[in-house]
Amino acid sequence: MRRDGMARVATRGAVVPVWRIMEKTPVIAALEGGVLTLMLNRPQRLNAMSNALIEAMNHELARARDDADIRCVLLTGLGRGFCAGADLSGGGTVDASANASPDLGAGMDRLFNPMIRAMRDLPKPIVGAINGVAAGGGANLALACDIVLAARSSRFDQAFVRISLIPDLGGTWFLPHTVGDARARGLAMLGKSVPAAEAERMGMIWQVVDDDALMAEATKLARQLAGGPTLSYAAIKKAINAAATNTLDQQLDLERDSQRELGRSADFKEGVAAFLAKRPAAFSGH
Amino acid sequence: MSHDTIIVAIDHGLATLTLNAPDKLNAVSRKMIAELKECWETLAADPAVRAVLLTGAGRGFCAGADLSDPDRDRSVAADSGSALDKFFNPVIRLMRSVPKPVVAAVNGPAAGVGMSFALAADIAIAGKSANFLQAFARIGLLPDGGSTWFLPRLVGEQRARALAMLAPRISAEQAKEWGLIWDVVEDGALLTTATEVARRLADGPTLALARIKEAMNRASGNQLSQQLDLERDFQRELGRSEDFREGVSAFLAKRKPVFKGK
Repeated sequence: MRRDGMARVATRGAVVPVWRIMEKTPVIAALEGGVLTLMLNRPQRLNAMSNALIEAMNHELARARDDADIRCVLLTGLGRGFCAGADLSGGGTVDASANASPDLGAGMDRLFNPMIRAMRDLPKPIVGAINGVAAGGGANLALACDIVLAARSSRFDQAFVRISLIPDLGGTWFLPHTVGDARARGLAMLGKSVPAAEAERMGMIWQVVDDDALMAEATKLARQLAGGPTLSYAAIKKAINAAATNTLDQQLDLERDSQRELGRSADFKEGVAAFLAKRPAAFSGH
Repeated sequence: MSHDTIIVAIDHGLATLTLNAPDKLNAVSRKMIAELKECWETLAADPAVRAVLLTGAGRGFCAGADLSDPDRDRSVAADSGSALDKFFNPVIRLMRSVPKPVVAAVNGPAAGVGMSFALAADIAIAGKSANFLQAFARIGLLPDGGSTWFLPRLVGEQRARALAMLAPRISAEQAKEWGLIWDVVEDGALLTTATEVARRLADGPTLALARIKEAMNRASGNQLSQQLDLERDFQRELGRSEDFREGVSAFLAKRKPVFKGK
């Protein structure tokens, strides 16, 4: 699975700081304790998304899907920013200057949209640790995570309208489904930048955390999920994904089918036994 | 109706259902859910009942499925889907489709499917000391009783995922702030307040309340354009009701309307 220029810093155990690799790797990946940490690594550009960065993300998300040792993904950014969106300058996904009518849709099809789909379809939880500004596509990359923790100094900025675009990477879907229609329209049309604390109040994200506690909190949460009933989390993701367009009637049937399957899992037996014995459950993910 | 696990009281159009296994915080046994389903079927079919109030006896509202129920199937092949099919899902479907308003008075912990019962009500009012817990992931399940559908609609995608995956206990105040429930009142005032609300609804324009419920049910799957047509159809129908005539003449005469539910 490994490819040139994508050598990873660590596959197991502690991260080995191989600086020469790190400089070239747009996403640093490290697997520890069932948590695959993905760190966007273009700090000098506030982690704006280049083609190589998205390709690396898609590669890692495929690995997260296929590797049973990975039971949770933690997504964050290196440096001051989380992600400043698509890289609009050289080396980026968009070359608006060279062509009078660029096909922005082609890049979405080939790179961005597969990434967002892979995140939502991943049968494992994704925790976002938003360490700084999340702007444009970066904001919606954050919202694609299942559970978002954000540093108090971070903010969410649907900047698109300022360059005459609409929110993409799922933004026009995530916004009404997190903050409601009225706020969604306001945020998208006015391109207003939302500080983390306000994002939490609106329900756009799960929790705001003090800057210096962010990584510790997010890692703790990701570890907790990595030690949890993985099949249950996968079923929850699938159910909530489906809920948006299902009728309640269809959803009740879906819950029945999922519950039937989970009811025969090792983790359900362990969960009930632990509950009745009043001890913490030791889930295996099976 | 005579039941061991549920107390049913009907008073001038208002039916009160009280889950009655207080020693287990009203955890739902096989027996209770079978009886609850029977109660809902009876109340749904009774035209004299114009509103339903659901609450719990004792300290708890409902602790969810009773895991220590001796009737629970513990075999390897146990089918946790069949109880949903036979009992729980029909109860949720009835609560949402019965053409009369349902009020929940959440008097204590509402956990697992107990929380789903609270969320399935049209109007949920909680006592200050009540709390809400999607306990399912703690035992390797996913939220059921419709909660995977209710949660994203009530609190949005982010909070829904976190509540389902992390299974934190949510205070009544937090639940109100997030829009999970309608209101929070002092514990001592809960039953009075909830009964007043349910009484007002039982004395209200039942056909309109039923159509409001139906319209809200349909709104989540409809496009705005479809919803406008649906509102037109319902309004046309309600415009020919006795209660509409009464409502308008009472409004013009500046007196209180007396609705009959017709």
